[in-house]
Amino acid sequence: MTPPLLQLIGIKKAFGAVTALNGVNFELRPGEVHALLGGNGAGKSTLIKVITGAHPPDAGTVAVGGYPISRLTPAIARSLGIACIYQQPALFPDLTVTENIGLRLESTSPFRRVRHRERRRLAGSLLRQVGAGFSGETGVHDLSMPQQQLVEIACAIGAGAKILIMDEPTASLTQPEQELLFGVVDNLRRNGSGIIYISHRLEEIFRIADRVTVLRDGESVVTRDLTRTGSAEGTAIGQGFDEADLIHWMVGRNLERTPVAIPPAGAPDRLIVHGLGCEDSGVHNITFTIRAGEIVGLTGLVGAGRTELARILFGLTPADTGEIRLDGIPVTISSPEEAIALGIGYLPEDRRRHGIILDLSVAQNVSMSVHSRIFPRGWLRPNAEQTLAEHYIHRLGIKTAGSGADANTLSGGNQQKVAMARWLATNPRVLILDEPTQGVDVGAKSEIHQHIRRLVDEGLAVLLISSELAEILALSHRIGVMRSGTLTALFDGQPSAAQLMRAALGNLEPGDPPC
Amino acid sequence: MVSAVLAILWLGLAVFAPDFFSPQPLLSRLTSSAPKLLVACGIALVILTRNIDISVGSLYAVASVAAGHASHFAPTPAVIVAVAILTGLGGGAINGFLVATLRLPSIVVTLATMVTWRECLRLGQQGVFINLPDNTQWFSLSMVRGQWTVVLTALVVLTFLAWAQRNLAAGRHLHAVGSDPEAARLAGISPGRTTFAAFVLCGTLTGLAAALNLAQSPQIDPNTGRLLELEAVAAAVVAGFAVSGGRGRLFALLPATLLMISISPALTYLGAKPYWDKAVHGVIILAAVTADGLRRPKQQSRPPVT
Amino acid sequence: MQSFPAPLIRIVSGLRFRHEAGLMLLLAIELIVFGFFGRRFLTADNGVNIIRHSVEIGMLALVMLPVILTGGIDLSVGSLLGLCAVLFGKLWRDVGVDWPMAAVGSVVVGLIGGAMNAFLITRLRLPPLIVTLSTYSLFRGLAEAITQGTDAFTGFPESFLFVGTGAWGGLPAQAGLLLACAVGIAMLIHQTTWGRSIRAIGFSAEGAEYAGLPVRRRVASAYCLAGAIAGLAALTYTARFGTAKADAGTGYELAAITAVVLGGASIFGGRGSVAGTVLGVAVLGVLGNGLTRLPATLSTASEITGIVTGLLLLASLALPRLAAMAGPSGTAGTEKHKRPKST
Repeated sequence: MTPPLLQLIGIKKAFGAVTALNGVNFELRPGEVHALLGGNGAGKSTLIKVITGAHPPDAGTVAVGGYPISRLTPAIARSLGIACIYQQPALFPDLTVTENIGLRLESTSPFRRVRHRERRRLAGSLLRQVGAGFSGETGVHDLSMPQQQLVEIACAIGAGAKILIMDEPTASLTQPEQELLFGVVDNLRRNGSGIIYISHRLEEIFRIADRVTVLRDGESVVTRDLTRTGSAEGTAIGQGFDEADLIHWMVGRNLERTPVAIPPAGAPDRLIVHGLGCEDSGVHNITFTIRAGEIVGLTGLVGAGRTELARILFGLTPADTGEIRLDGIPVTISSPEEAIALGIGYLPEDRRRHGIILDLSVAQNVSMSVHSRIFPRGWLRPNAEQTLAEHYIHRLGIKTAGSGADANTLSGGNQQKVAMARWLATNPRVLILDEPTQGVDVGAKSEIHQHIRRLVDEGLAVLLISSELAEILALSHRIGVMRSGTLTALFDGQPSAAQLMRAALGNLEPGDPPC
Repeated sequence: MVSAVLAILWLGLAVFAPDFFSPQPLLSRLTSSAPKLLVACGIALVILTRNIDISVGSLYAVASVAAGHASHFAPTPAVIVAVAILTGLGGGAINGFLVATLRLPSIVVTLATMVTWRECLRLGQQGVFINLPDNTQWFSLSMVRGQWTVVLTALVVLTFLAWAQRNLAAGRHLHAVGSDPEAARLAGISPGRTTFAAFVLCGTLTGLAAALNLAQSPQIDPNTGRLLELEAVAAAVVAGFAVSGGRGRLFALLPATLLMISISPALTYLGAKPYWDKAVHGVIILAAVTADGLRRPKQQSRPPVT
Repeated sequence: MQSFPAPLIRIVSGLRFRHEAGLMLLLAIELIVFGFFGRRFLTADNGVNIIRHSVEIGMLALVMLPVILTGGIDLSVGSLLGLCAVLFGKLWRDVGVDWPMAAVGSVVVGLIGGAMNAFLITRLRLPPLIVTLSTYSLFRGLAEAITQGTDAFTGFPESFLFVGTGAWGGLPAQAGLLLACAVGIAMLIHQTTWGRSIRAIGFSAEGAEYAGLPVRRRVASAYCLAGAIAGLAALTYTARFGTAKADAGTGYELAAITAVVLGGASIFGGRGSVAGTVLGVAVLGVLGNGLTRLPATLSTASEITGIVTGLLLLASLALPRLAAMAGPSGTAGTEKHKRPKST
């Protein structure tokens, strides 16, 4: 029997007094996709860093190809064929794709001649292998996020990686892009590589993985096989477990499933958008309505213009054509300040960059968009601010040492709740949620979903943007689909995932509602 | 773009002030600007790594004075050149250590070293000029040969660096580090070492520039090199180097420097007084950086500061 | 991803407090050393002297603080001071305006200069470093061009010179101005939503924009304020020396930045306090004065002050970093997520 590609036995790692890993066992065989699951703070990131040699473990053994490696450094890990595709591709935006691949694969000795022709040939063949539809001469800053991920994978293949770590590779991908990625992963698997696959999306685990290991509190809780025989095409069946079990192992408790709410009848139209467009952001001719107490889901491929539409409605890139009516009154929104004054809130996609300010306290983050209300005439009132923050800490169940704690001391899910609290504090009439549960662990995700449901029950109108069809389907009363900068379909009731997918791809069939 | 502006300017000078192109004054002008080209080269390398070095003017003066003192012990051109280059290298290494190893912001570090060097010089030299031995003038060559040596040295260095920027791995590393230091680290390129090397190279080029300048004059003004950092940054910005790092071609420094040195004579021919020079320099950098800012495609979420 | 372990936070916030305590200690050491070795250092006259000399740099440092808090920098304030001083002289002598009106003119010119920086930075979105480096050259160049490089304005009326040389109840007249600036800026930065937004912008300009804060207006106002106060500082400078020349305030931008950074402000924005800045100004002011009182350095005090200023600036940056690097692993990367693009 061939030895496993990678074996971790009893890995322990602590940072000061904080234990990140407390005895992790893990094994990766050739030709397998091994999913690694765990909530935020379970130790996945630290484990990756141990495998890539960035963090030396305090105790335990790392064996590659059956041989224990005593001192794993990033350089040694690289030479052993370990490669990691990070969530945020680590490419050079100012250089071309070819140069990026060259810099990754060629020796880093500084006084070496660059062989431009060879480099171009290599890059070209690697890009073909991953099915990239762009040329090597493209500047990376012109590529979309999924295209950049393909470049990353091309680099890993070019480096002859046998052990590939994919850290939430689909976090920013839409379904068809995911399919493309899964195809590449399948190829790698057939060639005998091992893939460590990290994701928060359980359906993906069943779609792609051969085995799954669950981490909780720095320990490997279970490792189970999945089998493909007897299952529907493209999916696998757990050997004696299902999604609910996985969640149970991850969080140590079961999550209740809430039935889909019934759309409000006879509620007034809250937001009416007619023929909206913005030249610069490539969005045009958008028409839809959200009623009070309604969640309108919005899905589509990355680059379809969903976030761009949100940015228009929030005044970050003002519209140049079309009409917006709020509660029947026509409005123009030319800056976020105006949007907030009109009662529009926007929870952005990128939490750490846009959603909150990590170096400010929880209270300061919560009060940020209501300065004029709680600080009349511009003078700070710490007590009023603290009261406001504590109200929302209690209401949303934010786990924090206190309202004065810096936001960067909170976990991802709690940071997202702080970002939501900021918008709730503005008493919005319309709330735009852009990927509200991206990168949030399963427990926090279901809590956030419940908060959204409660808010619409109180009469808020919500525009929910998400790439995760399950989330859109579970929460929305109506679902819009965007493609190439415009709204191509608007479904009442419950469409099937296949219908949504067809709309996103632009091949509607008879029976699908046009917009 | 820069070449086009240069062509128009030169055309104008050819029509209205043909004297500008008479061989001897032109050669002199080129000779005196050769050091500026090298310093601009050094700063451009540092800018590529997303840093800046505004201490070059002071370092230039320190290298000049150090070489001047050394020439009294061993009055040969070789000693002057070697001491100037080594001094520059040392100064660059200090900046490099502070910025790359201690990871301090380059603007403040080089602001501090700029003042420290300048004041050390004032303290040690008290404004006294240093006379250079006669035989070191023009590297002990005839004046015209000396001038050609200076100009060609600068051109050869520039050409080599421009070639290396494109064809040596090290050149691409500079771009990589300036484009995204974190990605560079993941690609096995050490941002610290690369940045350090850029500062050392910048210091070395500044030292060499000082040496080329010393060959041209019989004595050294310890106040030399004031505003040199400004002219060099201006040349780099005009040449299209992005202050956000990662972008720019060294060879473009040649037309940029030629443009910068043609403006003053052009102004003089137009009747402007020399004390407008500084104001004009400011306007040129502003114009170049504004043009760059307007040319750059609109990015969606670029913050308005930093 | 990884949330910060609690002990680390305590160390970092402890450092911030210790920074100001450290500055007090430094100030105390200076006072003791110069008081012991210096000639007529610890006298009331000399105290007045120190304050007089620190007023312009103090005012510039106080307005440099909000600029640095936004994550920007203003290298042009010293040059702008020179330009304002020259234009003040020009208005009073050649145009024949009363000095109070000319003084208003000086502040307005400063405001225009600051507005120019603000426009280029916030509207054209150019990097502050390059913008103010070019206006640093431009403003000084204009001052030189106006005075033809040599002209100096003198013979100002007594009532004006009082601003720079007079005293109120034992305190120099311009100290009132500095005090007003310090109190005003402290209230602005620490007590108002303006200061809060400036800080938020410094930590994350994009985050502040998404929160609906008027980012451009706030940043612009910081540069305008810096310009206007540079115009005001030009007045006390001119009154103190009795002449307005093109080289007025040369190098003051550096002294101001040094005081702010020495005072514990982060050059990347967000962190910094008025108390720290004031202490930074005091440390530098006492140092410059004290060196002129030591017999050993009497004749070379200004050069040594410059050297020590540069070294102090480096030390105030390097020491916390060295301490962090020597500390537990990972501490040095505290500010890693805020990669400065151009400063």
